[in-house]
Amino acid sequence: MSLLTVNDLKVHYPIRGGFFRRVVDHVRAVDGISFELQPGETYGLVGESGCGKTTSGRAIIGLNKSTGGEMLFEGKDLAKMGRAERYKHTKDIQMIFQDPYSSLNGRKNVLNIIAEPLRNFERLSPKEELLRVQELVARVGLSPESIYKYPHQFSGGQRQRIGIARALALNPKLIIADEPVSALDVSVQAQVLNFMQEIQKDFNLTYLFISHDLGIIQHMCDRIGIMYRGRFVEEGTADEIYNNPQHVYTKRLIAAIPEMNPEKRFEKMHLRQSINEEYQTGYNNYFDKDGRMFDLKKISESHSVAMQ
Amino acid sequence: MKNTVTINEKDLIAREKLNNPSFAKTIWREIIHDKMAIISLILLIIILATAYLSPLFIDQVALKRVNFLNTWKAPSAANWLGTDDGGRDVFGQLMIGARNSFTIGIAVTLIAGVVGLSYGLISGFYGGHVDNVMMRFLEFMMVLPTTMFIIVLVTIIPNYNVVSFILILSIFAWLGKARLIRSRALQERELDYINASKTLGTPSWKIMFFEMFPNLSSLVIVNMTLTLAGNIGIETGLTFLGYGLPAGTPSLGTLVAFARNPDIVQNKWWVWLPAALLILVMMLCINYVGQAIKRASDARQRLA
Ligand SMILES: Nc1ncnc2c1ncn2[C@@H]1O[C@H](COP(=O)(O)OP(=O)(O)OP(=O)(O)O)[C@@H](O)[C@H]1O
Ligand SMILES: [Mg+2]
Repeated sequence: MSLLTVNDLKVHYPIRGGFFRRVVDHVRAVDGISFELQPGETYGLVGESGCGKTTSGRAIIGLNKSTGGEMLFEGKDLAKMGRAERYKHTKDIQMIFQDPYSSLNGRKNVLNIIAEPLRNFERLSPKEELLRVQELVARVGLSPESIYKYPHQFSGGQRQRIGIARALALNPKLIIADEPVSALDVSVQAQVLNFMQEIQKDFNLTYLFISHDLGIIQHMCDRIGIMYRGRFVEEGTADEIYNNPQHVYTKRLIAAIPEMNPEKRFEKMHLRQSINEEYQTGYNNYFDKDGRMFDLKKISESHSVAMQ
Repeated sequence: MKNTVTINEKDLIAREKLNNPSFAKTIWREIIHDKMAIISLILLIIILATAYLSPLFIDQVALKRVNFLNTWKAPSAANWLGTDDGGRDVFGQLMIGARNSFTIGIAVTLIAGVVGLSYGLISGFYGGHVDNVMMRFLEFMMVLPTTMFIIVLVTIIPNYNVVSFILILSIFAWLGKARLIRSRALQERELDYINASKTLGTPSWKIMFFEMFPNLSSLVIVNMTLTLAGNIGIETGLTFLGYGLPAGTPSLGTLVAFARNPDIVQNKWWVWLPAALLILVMMLCINYVGQAIKRASDARQRLA
């Protein structure tokens, strides 16, 4: 059974205007996306800025309300759960935030930061709590004495590790990682990503990995969903997406990855030009008359594309 | 648990304190780097210490006793600041009055601080409809003519004493604070550490008071210090108008109130002038200290 099944998830924000601030229209931040997460896999959500990746992740974890569709976690719909029942699943779904600077409270030391979830869910004596925190701190590769330090005394990469330790404290099943490395220096990115893969094995985690960096997604993910304006344009395994992209938007995204090899630069340029032509001539195959994407259509067992 | 190392906590905390000065330390540094602030602070401490310790030396019963043989005496060795219309010692009244006025100012500031803080935090944290309703109520309260309402309340309340006076003043003193805190809380709630706390299952009230509040505490401290002077002023002002403390409770306002009579203003300056000066000095001192605290809370304005 899949761990999480998202069915036709919609998040619409009202636009208010005119007299009495009536709702005049909606921002369709997420407009009907569906995907499944299998236990232990990493699912990548990619797309340009503003396409609704963060909004989807936040809807799943409950930071904003979904306006339609369902999110089945182990068969139960998170959207329809009452407050008390949803609270029980807090332990199972955790989040790693994008900005390691604002996601840690600067007034609390590392001990208090990491112990926060433990204090909410487990009754531990101060001694046990300290041991648990020390264990977690050691697991994310920080020195033991750092537990009495404050966030501003750490580098970005180290802070992100504190954030990861905090998310791990409750032994979650699913971790939503919203661009966990985009605020970090490139040299530290690989370090944190590899570390995330390591703990995935150790803790048997499932990741919903949100990013706009196709290189990182390729490195991390088993399956990928490409988002564009709140909808999926293509979904498939990493191999299918990178080696056999079908939708013109996916092709453009992949063609936009910078080419390091100077000999292949010309080749790449021609590729981009031909994709651009395809975009102009074949526009109607990919977008309907309102400029909206079609629904996903299966083209193989694991690969679906939004095409006519 | 082989990975965990026992560490010397005290040593660590001490080192931690050194390179991460607390807000109290920063305030202190800021105050000693500002001459006016340090002078004000010392002066304020002297005034308050004298006022609060004065009951040890002053016979309060004697202070209230009317002695018609001794009215309107000019300052002398026996009565340092002379006597008033009832032959009572003005200096003694000044000390007790300063104590009463300051206590009232502090009490009002604290009550208003707690109420305003809670109101603002709740409103800003929840936002949306909650914020909307709470802010409309606040705006309604703010358009009420404060002084008039206080005067009305003072006259209609049956057993009127110092406590009820403090409560009446507090009704209107928290409004501005609530607004200030709410606007900062609205900004703060968008930050990810609040979102993180929500996803970690921390109850809302804990997020408000243990996560958000520490990040707003400097704002609260600054605001409370600066409004303290104002609250002392309101008390004395109302007493001067005759709607302040009940008769028989000396305050700075009761002494200044003598100045309603032109004869006293001109010829018996020792009754009202010292009180007026004391109010002025105390307000200035509190303000200078408050300004220093305000600078300490904003790294860009610091002098130290
Ligand atoms: N509270 C809100 N009210 C109205 N519109 C919103 C709100 N939050 C997000 N949006 C809109 O929803 C869309 C999706 O936003 P979202 O933050 O999910 O993008 P994203 O894919 O995470 O982008 P990025 O890569 O830049 O983080 C944007 O167009 C944004 O303007
Ligand atoms: Mg985002």
